[in-house]
Amino acid sequence: MSDPAMTPDSNQPEGMLEGDLVRHARRGDLAAYDQLVKRYQERIYATIYHMTANHEDANDLAQDAFIKAYQALKTFKGGSSFYTWLYRIAVNKTINFLKQRKNKYHLSLNDLDFNAENDPDLVALVSHKTPVRDAGLSELQKKLNEALLKLSEPHRMVVILHDVQGMSHEEIAEIAGCNVGTVRSRLFYARQQLQGDLAEYMKPA
Amino acid sequence: MNKSENNNFETLKQALKLKRHEIPPPGYFNNFSSDVLDRIRAGESGGRESFAERLQTQAPWLIDFIRLFETKPGLIGAFAISACLVLVFGIVLAERPDAAPQDFMATAGGAANNQAATETVALTDPVLTPAGDSAGGIVASTNPVVSLQPATGLFGQQNPLFQSASFAPVGH
Repeated sequence: MSDPAMTPDSNQPEGMLEGDLVRHARRGDLAAYDQLVKRYQERIYATIYHMTANHEDANDLAQDAFIKAYQALKTFKGGSSFYTWLYRIAVNKTINFLKQRKNKYHLSLNDLDFNAENDPDLVALVSHKTPVRDAGLSELQKKLNEALLKLSEPHRMVVILHDVQGMSHEEIAEIAGCNVGTVRSRLFYARQQLQGDLAEYMKPA
Repeated sequence: MNKSENNNFETLKQALKLKRHEIPPPGYFNNFSSDVLDRIRAGESGGRESFAERLQTQAPWLIDFIRLFETKPGLIGAFAISACLVLVFGIVLAERPDAAPQDFMATAGGAANNQAATETVALTDPVLTPAGDSAGGIVASTNPVVSLQPATGLFGQQNPLFQSASFAPVGH
């Protein structure tokens, strides 16, 4: 017999579905909103971090996005999922921040985790006879972030949501409020730009 | 060309996966949600927000409407043409001269019918026309200055601008 305390309870915020959590949070239930924050904090933080390449800015903006979302919950009609709506707020807030900051950026990069050197894609990348192997992953990380920061915000957003976060074109179109064709063309252009900026790392030796 | 380009994109995509391994300091998310809730309890706002951000959260339909123009440029033309048509229609309607004068003529015609005895219409000199014919009434005239002039003033004196109209049907 399982411990009742360990069984998910649909009356407790931990066991609730997203829609129920949103409904409770709209009524001012902070415990329910706490659960929503915990569900999405890593993804929202990561998206903002990849857009800004700065841990401190990402921390502030992610918190601001969650606070803003809580205050605006009453205007959330449920036309899209809460997740998409939250992403919209976070992305718009980040783009607005980056526009105000203009091109004055300061890298504050997070460390690579221990799995980076065991990632099959990265292993494949460094196992080729490319300059990457000599430069090391840390150098590539820095160059990659600098190249990303050269992209315009809409292009950076698309390439991060798709190639880093793994979202579909349709999801990105909904978040960005544009059509799928625009997402595809922005993605292609962004990749071309990145490829140009990282040419010395990308071409086979 | 395509093959090498695709290969390069594959390499790029592999390199971009490196970003997934950038992680915040250990334990960073332990206090994240409690920090957010503390700020909510303290009544903090979610930072300064631009007009566009406010619109995004409070009137997303308006943003979608504007973005519709971005994605379908033909709609801009259609919208502009409709706006111009409405404007032109409004101007034409406003400049139509018949609406108010028609009402006035109807009123004047009613007054004339009340004085059925006078069936002659002729522009006469005010001096020759007895004031009593239409004393106190409003007289129709093609002269805009006198059209709303009463036949007599407040104290019974004759209005010099008053012109009486009489009508004599042909054959009578």
